[in-house]
Amino acid sequence: MEKSLLSGIARWIHGEISTLTGSPLLSDLVLIVIGIAALLGIISLAAIVFTYAERKVCAFMQMRLGPNRVGGRFGLLQPVADMLKLMSKEDIMPAGADKVLWALSPALLFVPAALVYAFFPFDAGAVLVDVNVGVFLLLAISSQAVLPFLMGGYASNNKYSMIGGFRIVSQMISYEAPLLFSLLGILMITGSMRLEDIVLAQQGGHWFLFLQPLAFIIFLISAIAETNRTPFDLVEGESEIIAGPFTEYSGMRWALFFLAEYANLLTAAILATTFFLGGYLGPSFLPGFVWFTLKSVAMVFLIMWFRWTFPRTRVDQMLSFSWKALLPLAILNVFLTGAIMYALDLV
Amino acid sequence: MKRTETYLLNMGPQHPSTHGVLQVKLTLDGERIQRAEPVLGYLHRGIEKLLESRTYVQGLPYTDRLDYISSMNNNFGFARAVEELARLEVPRRAEFIRVIMAELNRINSHLIGIGTLANDLGASTGMLCCFRDREYILDIFNEVCGARQTFHYIRIGGVSGEFTDKARALTESFLARVPRFLAEYDKLLTGNEIFRRRIVGISPMTPEEALALNMTGPNLRATGVARDLRKIDAYSVYGEFDFDIPVGTHGDNWDRYIVKLREIKESARIIRQALDKMPEGAIMAKVPRVLKPPAGEVYSRTEGTRGELGFYLVSDGTPKPYRVHIRRPSFVNMQGLDLMCRGMLIGDSVSAYSSIDPIMGEVDC
Amino acid sequence: MFGKGLLTGMGVTIKHFFGKKETFCYPEEKLPVAEGFRGGNLTMDWRVCIACQLCAMACPNKALELKVVTDAKKKRHMEHYIHKTGRCLFCNLCVEACPVHTLQWDKNFAFSSWNKAAMTHDAVSDADRTDLKELLANIEAKAKAEAAEKAKAAAEAPAAPAKQQADAKGGEA
Repeated sequence: MEKSLLSGIARWIHGEISTLTGSPLLSDLVLIVIGIAALLGIISLAAIVFTYAERKVCAFMQMRLGPNRVGGRFGLLQPVADMLKLMSKEDIMPAGADKVLWALSPALLFVPAALVYAFFPFDAGAVLVDVNVGVFLLLAISSQAVLPFLMGGYASNNKYSMIGGFRIVSQMISYEAPLLFSLLGILMITGSMRLEDIVLAQQGGHWFLFLQPLAFIIFLISAIAETNRTPFDLVEGESEIIAGPFTEYSGMRWALFFLAEYANLLTAAILATTFFLGGYLGPSFLPGFVWFTLKSVAMVFLIMWFRWTFPRTRVDQMLSFSWKALLPLAILNVFLTGAIMYALDLV
Repeated sequence: MKRTETYLLNMGPQHPSTHGVLQVKLTLDGERIQRAEPVLGYLHRGIEKLLESRTYVQGLPYTDRLDYISSMNNNFGFARAVEELARLEVPRRAEFIRVIMAELNRINSHLIGIGTLANDLGASTGMLCCFRDREYILDIFNEVCGARQTFHYIRIGGVSGEFTDKARALTESFLARVPRFLAEYDKLLTGNEIFRRRIVGISPMTPEEALALNMTGPNLRATGVARDLRKIDAYSVYGEFDFDIPVGTHGDNWDRYIVKLREIKESARIIRQALDKMPEGAIMAKVPRVLKPPAGEVYSRTEGTRGELGFYLVSDGTPKPYRVHIRRPSFVNMQGLDLMCRGMLIGDSVSAYSSIDPIMGEVDC
Repeated sequence: MFGKGLLTGMGVTIKHFFGKKETFCYPEEKLPVAEGFRGGNLTMDWRVCIACQLCAMACPNKALELKVVTDAKKKRHMEHYIHKTGRCLFCNLCVEACPVHTLQWDKNFAFSSWNKAAMTHDAVSDADRTDLKELLANIEAKAKAEAAEKAKAAAEAPAAPAKQQADAKGGEA
């Protein structure tokens, strides 16, 4: 278990600093700082790679070529150009906006989006904060994203933003419930809320995707809804309410929203990987974090594939789908899991 | 006590899904629409007045700019009105070419209608598919008249250029594509449950309401009234072709979408027959160099892509018309917007706009 | 079953994903321009042009501003053929009106500009105008020579009217 590449590197750094300074506390601190920097790096890298990937995937699915100018024939430097464009844009504050809330919203939105990365097991032992209530904390923190959205929508002094803010509250609250219930079955089987235990329970190819297929579908739909992507991108449905809470934001503030969106997208993919696809487990010819990355990227591609195929649902349909279809199914799944476990005498 | 308050949401003219420069003032109760009031005039260019200050021949290119998606049908309508006024006889071959062009343009316009509906519902891939297939029609137009927009091809007395063998080959290959792309739309959009749920039963309209509001075209036919001037008037050579008028049953957005899809199929049938039956001969009648229709008035109507397109011309015997009035189907159909939006959600209002399928160049004229 | 339509839709998009792309890189690759393409600026050869101005008369929107000079032999020539693309409808009526078929589109459709000044185009270039001036001078010289010859011939008989005629001709040129 402790033989993974990432944890090996961490241990090596820890050991080196300990011998240099002679203080294990300092080396722990340095390791944590390095870990946080690495996570922020992952998020930024994900945002950069996914902007490019989304443009290309979107273009290819629409029979277009996509970015092909900046950085050679494949437009590899397009994200850099995008970033430069966003940085050079004017920062406009709408008249009549609630200035404090308006400025806080993008910054606050990024916090829960980045915070949840602390709990992900990227590889065996490679978890920044290894807590035994990981799942609980994860969902509790990620649900905090509602508030900044509502703040941004409320503070913008724009009706479209306001409607977007209302929509996201109802949407996120509605999909929190099926998301939780879809994971309950897994928690019952593993008997632990520690994420690494959940991964290890899937050893030998017993992915929860096969044990809990219904839960996987419910989880995927809810996760897409939580990340506000098509078919549930009502919050920023551009043909209805322009860009929802982001309507009035420009430049770097908007870029922060953007970053949070892609961080959330990767979060959804990582959660699906961890809970249902066996996390970093895989044949040993590749290191664990490579498997982890491959599975996550495959999930991201699936979510992008949905986005460029499906139309958007409507507000009432989205809500009734959550409460009338997903939640009962998720509870049924919990019940079935319990019944089968009882029948097989696993309790 | 529960108390709610309505508020006004101003959609457009810069809203991404109001098709050009349409402005709609929505009175909302939460997300429910209580009233939708279209505000027009952002694209008004005074085309009727422009036509009055130019000769008949010079006025024709301005009709391209009415409904810029279906220029051929506008050219056709205006040319027919002037021909009726000046009592010109159009060669038979020219009539066949006109019908082919008008039907190709109808397909073109319906593809845009379907594509924008898909885009407004968030399925942008559906829109790109429609635009891809529309490109092949534009290639045909480019071949016959040298333009991909504002064609100015159907002229007073005939058509401006020969329907070449290359154009015929392009048309044949396009006709071969029609069933293929329709099957693809069925897979991508028609069969998609989310798409279905978004438009089935939304913005319904009864035949009585549609007739009372003077709606025409696919919007009227979706309610179940089989009124198509190509059948009723059988103008030009439409009487010689065998085609059906697709009608809907509920008059909702779904029916409007399906009627458009099926009209594409029927138009393809008409083009097929016209290609087979096309006679040889001249493509232009003998039109006097200075066209001076005798004094009188005429109201000539054709089935445009969006409904009854009528040109009312008054001649006083001079080379310029004394009075021009255009009955623009998009403008008249806009009357139904309020009825279609009432009681619906904001998300439905955009599908109502795109299923009415207004072109602002025609609405504002 | 609910979801079947979603899956077939996903099948369509994944087929597009790996399939042939419909677009291409525009400035490097261009669609072939059709034979009768209407677009770009108007071109004409002033040597062929008879300066009848039918094109300007056919124009619905007064997009053509012509300046015509008359040479010593009362033949008209085009000195300025200004095509205001900002006003042009690209309706082809001018091209069709040309009796000598010298008026043509240059088919250069990528001619959008940053300012209004670039939206006018003179089909008669400066080099053309130098040639035109030369021609006009030649014709005038020729006409003068002819007039002089005529005057010479006329001098034998009634001298006064012929001289007047020659003067008048010279003045006109």
